[in-house]
Amino acid sequence: MSGATQAPTKSTDDKSKTVDAENSENKKAAVAPLEEDDEFEDFPVEDWTEEESQIPGGTTHLWEESWDDDDTSEDFAVQLREELKKLGNSK
Amino acid sequence: MQDALAEFYTAYASGSAVAVAHFLNPISPPQNPGRLYDFWRTTNEVRVGGDVQYALESRLRRHMSPNEINAWVDVISAYWRGVDKIVKAEQAENQGKLAERQAIDVYDAWKDLTSTFIKYISNGALPHWAVFTLYFTANHLRKFALKADEQMAKAKPVTFSSGFQDDIVSTTPRNEKLEEAARVFNRIFALCLGDRNPELMSSRKWGVYCIANLQFKTYFKLKTISLSKNVVKSIAAQSDLPQFHLYPASHRVTYMYYVGVISFLQEDYTMAEASLTEAWNSCYAYSSKNQELIMSYLIPCRLITEHKIPSAQLLNQFPHLRSLFGDLMDSIKKGDLSGFDKALTEGEPEFVKRRIFLTLERSRDIALRNLFRKVFLSAGYEDLKEGQTENDRIRKSRIPISHFAAALRMSTAGTGSSQVVDDDEVECLLANMIYKGHMKGYISRDHGMVVLNKKGAFPKTGV
Repeated sequence: MSGATQAPTKSTDDKSKTVDAENSENKKAAVAPLEEDDEFEDFPVEDWTEEESQIPGGTTHLWEESWDDDDTSEDFAVQLREELKKLGNSK
Repeated sequence: MQDALAEFYTAYASGSAVAVAHFLNPISPPQNPGRLYDFWRTTNEVRVGGDVQYALESRLRRHMSPNEINAWVDVISAYWRGVDKIVKAEQAENQGKLAERQAIDVYDAWKDLTSTFIKYISNGALPHWAVFTLYFTANHLRKFALKADEQMAKAKPVTFSSGFQDDIVSTTPRNEKLEEAARVFNRIFALCLGDRNPELMSSRKWGVYCIANLQFKTYFKLKTISLSKNVVKSIAAQSDLPQFHLYPASHRVTYMYYVGVISFLQEDYTMAEASLTEAWNSCYAYSSKNQELIMSYLIPCRLITEHKIPSAQLLNQFPHLRSLFGDLMDSIKKGDLSGFDKALTEGEPEFVKRRIFLTLERSRDIALRNLFRKVFLSAGYEDLKEGQTENDRIRKSRIPISHFAAALRMSTAGTGSSQVVDDDEVECLLANMIYKGHMKGYISRDHGMVVLNKKGAFPKTGV
């Protein structure tokens, strides 16, 4: 029995490890092109139309506009309220 | 020889500078990897001038002035000599015998081609559009110069002098060819900008921006960015250029990117934001590296000008940007100061290299503002008075300084940045926030309170 219960834990461990390894590899691979300098590449074409400068399925919101104020259950917010409550009581 | 020139005749007849530039390409196209070699084999060093002349004259005598034929003969012969060096360098490389000399030979031959071009464009022998063909030739010259410098640096390992000036000794000879190329580009730029031809359609002024872009790339490589400002200034001072939007998109976007980066480095963030945004909006949708480069400056820029962080959507679309900025932006959003410090320290080498470190460092203010904003939110609302409804409720606007201090201690308690924060310092930080307009209100020292505006205590953040 104990062997059976151990087996899955081990496999999940392994899995998480490989996922970790993959992640770190991904991260490295992702960072690699940024290691190069900031020289602007030559464009493959000289001129293009306005439509061709729109990313397909484009990003409509480039910048964060919303404030997740409703998220009062967020760890830090909870901790902060606890902390401030203590301060309030001690006064 | 006539066969080898067939591509040139077609390209020339089309009047397309790009097509002629294709003919003068120092790299064989993928669909015809033997192109350079085939062209090279049509003649030899002794016969090239005569062969090209005979071919062009017999074919074009009726269509072209003798001056122009003469100019193309020299250009194409110079191109053949460039190809000659390239083929020989490739052969040497295949035999594993690539020496310092080869890359320099290629560069020198290509510089001759570029100079020949300049000569015949400035004396008017070549048609006006040849200036764009020259641009492509010059761009290759830039790449050959980089290669030659790289190879020279490899061949002559840096010898450190024993004195204190070792760094000067090691860097001076390294960019010799690129510096030389920069002077060639200056000549071309002057040639374009100073064209007195009143006929705008056939003016060399159309070459101004693409050559300026070449200069920017070169100056950035040479780390003499300040010279780029002169280019921007002389373009701004030239009142009779064709309208900017009429130039090809690749010229405009590249120019706007560099103007944006130059403004950014001068801490003119308003100008930088405008230029980079324009570059972003017109950038070719399939050039994602360029889009990332634009954003790598636009993101720090917006932090300063608008206190805005990029959306998750944007970062998800560009994994490189996410790995560069993700942690930092998360920390700013959460008001997590120790997370911010950690992300900034971890990314420092990369940020410094991209020249954005100092700007990002300044965005710690936004993280701090978001933290203080949380204190304000967690204070909750005033009790409703009689007759008031939920809609009338207002947030508590008097908040003890000690609350901000507590939040600050919590936020910096993590590893790395656990400085002790004393109350005076907190007051100082609060005063700074108010001074910079991140918070509206005042500090009441007698009561140890911050009294915030009832409306818009934290401007532009919805509360």
